[in-house]
Amino acid sequence: MRHPSLTARMAVVGSILFAFYAVAAVVAMGAFGVPLWLVLIGSVLFVGVQYKLGKYFALRSVGAEDMPEGQYPQIHRQVEELAADMGIEKPRLMIARMGVPNAFAVGRKGAGTVVVSEELIRTLDADELEGVLAHELAHITNRDVVMMVLGQGVASIVAIVAQWAVLLSGDNDLADFFLAIIVGQIVQMLVMLFVFAISRYREYVADGDAADAIGSGEPLARALEKISRGNERSDDSRVDESVNALCIFGEGSGLAALLSTHPPVEKRIDRLRN
Amino acid sequence: MDYRTLLAAVLGVGLGAVMVAFPEAVVKVHTAGRRPHDRHGEYGTNESGHERYHRLVRGLGVVVALAGVYFGATLVV
Repeated sequence: MRHPSLTARMAVVGSILFAFYAVAAVVAMGAFGVPLWLVLIGSVLFVGVQYKLGKYFALRSVGAEDMPEGQYPQIHRQVEELAADMGIEKPRLMIARMGVPNAFAVGRKGAGTVVVSEELIRTLDADELEGVLAHELAHITNRDVVMMVLGQGVASIVAIVAQWAVLLSGDNDLADFFLAIIVGQIVQMLVMLFVFAISRYREYVADGDAADAIGSGEPLARALEKISRGNERSDDSRVDESVNALCIFGEGSGLAALLSTHPPVEKRIDRLRN
Repeated sequence: MDYRTLLAAVLGVGLGAVMVAFPEAVVKVHTAGRRPHDRHGEYGTNESGHERYHRLVRGLGVVVALAGVYFGATLVV
């Protein structure tokens, strides 16, 4: 077992999500008379469509293009070696102009794509970039993208069922319509709390896997540090906006912390260095 | 007492307040898993930088809270 701690946490969160889903399925079958096969097929289709559309729109919305191997031979070589070390196929490599240093992974093992921003390539040294690439490959290896899609799928299905249950159990007056919408939103938020909790932990796991793959956590720690420092002194308006948003909601307190997909950068840097 | 209308009023004002105070969290709840969570904003941070959507969520939050107040008022009047 590669990550016993992650497996244990996933077992707990997975059971909770399944319990939510089971309740929604029972309500759909009992209250609305939907047969079990339709509930199951509908759920798989719902999550499948979300996965496919999510990947398509993510790549399209940042204007990602295939990264030419002739122009970026070092990145292609790094990813080839990292993928071989991690036991996965080399993912498709794409490049985009995002306005900020960034990288993300979409897809799954065997059909993964890693997108890197031009700004990230300009900002980081070769070994720091390798750390970031290793982190993104770890997300693909650990099926983190699929997990998030599944989590969102369960949250959406439970919310929809809760919404209809409220709507159909009322008098169909204006207050009932309003209550149904509100309950749907609140239920989705509650289910997503569990998804976000495991997502934050999976970031640490991906950091750890990246450190193992490149032999040290220092390059990724330096990359995170460099980008954080760059943000503090950046005068780019888009970055200012982001920093302002982070300052208002913070990364580590209250509701914002519970609904964060990433742990605080400082904690990640600490863990990578220790 | 119409408890469903009361519930609509209380939850409406509550959710509206959350939408006004934490628009980024609300956007994240709806976008996580539907698009990469680190697609916007800087690498390694929580997604941010969509002030436009935040303003929209805040505006909707005000509408939701006002609707909650309206339903509450119908119970009193």
